[in-house]
Amino acid sequence: MSVITSHPSSYRDPSGYIFEKEGLLYRQVNQCFKEDFESFISSGCFAHFVKKGLLIPHEQIAENLTGDQEWYTTLKPTKVSFISYAWEWSFDMLKDAALLTLQIAREALQFDMILKDATPYNIQWHKGKFILIDSLSFEKYKNQPWVAYRQFCEGFLAPLLLMHYRKYSLQQLQLAWPDGVPLDLTQRLLPWRSKLSIHTYLHIHLHAKLSRKENKPGKAPIFDKQKILKLFASLETLISSLHLPEQASTWSGYYTEASQRNDYLHEKKEIIFKWISVTEGVKSAVDIGANEGEFSKLLAAKSISTIAADFDPYCINRLYSKIKGTKEINIQPLILDIANPGPAIGVNLEERQSFYQRCRVDMVLALALIHHLVIGKRIPLEKVARMFSTIGDCLIVEFVPYEDEKVQLMLQTKTGNFPYYSQQDFENAFARYFYIEKKESIGKSGRTLFLMKGNK
Amino acid sequence: MDLVLLYVDPGSGSYLVQVIIAAAMGIVFFFKNIKLYILSFFRRFSRKHKDNPPA
Repeated sequence: MSVITSHPSSYRDPSGYIFEKEGLLYRQVNQCFKEDFESFISSGCFAHFVKKGLLIPHEQIAENLTGDQEWYTTLKPTKVSFISYAWEWSFDMLKDAALLTLQIAREALQFDMILKDATPYNIQWHKGKFILIDSLSFEKYKNQPWVAYRQFCEGFLAPLLLMHYRKYSLQQLQLAWPDGVPLDLTQRLLPWRSKLSIHTYLHIHLHAKLSRKENKPGKAPIFDKQKILKLFASLETLISSLHLPEQASTWSGYYTEASQRNDYLHEKKEIIFKWISVTEGVKSAVDIGANEGEFSKLLAAKSISTIAADFDPYCINRLYSKIKGTKEINIQPLILDIANPGPAIGVNLEERQSFYQRCRVDMVLALALIHHLVIGKRIPLEKVARMFSTIGDCLIVEFVPYEDEKVQLMLQTKTGNFPYYSQQDFENAFARYFYIEKKESIGKSGRTLFLMKGNK
Repeated sequence: MDLVLLYVDPGSGSYLVQVIIAAAMGIVFFFKNIKLYILSFFRRFSRKHKDNPPA
């Protein structure tokens, strides 16, 4: 009999759970959720959202694959290629995920259904846009206040407001408080002037104050659709008005500067395009240090599903703004500090997986990155090679030599020597994990591109 | 942190604030609608004037 593995993060909701069998992903719906699930399907709610491309489609299988007595039905949802978390999204990505959640909550009311969960984990990137992945998030609307309201405020609204008012990208807050930034804390971190916005005052300041009071357990008040729509309208008005001012980060204008170096960018693009055109079997890739995704686009044009990752949240926000609303479906923007990738967190450190657990791709692109890791962050070449081999079997990497003007610029602020940073040292360190298939100099820049394949 | 908070149902405070927000938004949207009505009246009025300029 094949092994059933229930997903480590799918344990909170009694309505059902995600499990894996023979490498395929399924979702079980439990008996206790039968009535709500039937309403969700028969009301046309499911069809409505799938047709609009807002909800992940699923196939219903009338077979009890788990042998569980609680079983009602089994769903086989379309698999999302890479699961990302809110601390890996830029400001506008989180904002759009929040607005999508509100849109779904609002439109579900037309079918007498309501969202019972409103967490960023239920929103995932799929084919070039965000989509809701949890079909068990809908329950029958019972003329009561929104049960997921607090979860929405802490998971979406609080981090967005903090970034808006503090004018700083604060994704790390969501990693520190993975279930949402507590209202009480948000209230303390927000400036006093945030109280002048009636929406912020009500959803955060008053909400935090009332939540602090000892509440007697009692029946939920009657809350008709008009009232709940007003609540959604207020949240939508507030979130739509939020923005994070553009900041000149170290990497803003990188391409403008790089393109001024003779034909450096042009020649680099030509070599990479030539190599990916002849490399077979590459369907997925990660572009580490993607900046605004200039090279990710080359891969995407070859229908390679590419994660364009950069540690600079402003670069990722610009990339997201560029591809948003276009037909680009092969690029997924992601905030990633490769020297400190997302850790595994939650119950038994299994609930949310580390970046390495989630990301295994066919190709890794590491352009103009090595010197930042080895010289800038003092990471030994061997560790960098291991880092890349953990992610993918095929690697396109650019070696930036010691004499390079950018390296020299970095050395001005560094103390000590870097004796083990020659091209030979680089090749020797990488030989432990990769063999060199191709090697080509980028014009007269002094830099070299390598196409490497895993030794395993 | 106040120990009593650990035993408070976080949902109940959220319910109360939703009731308050719905009431507040009722007032906000009421005045917003009046504002929009007045603005659209003046826009219609000025458009009429543009279409039929005084001779």
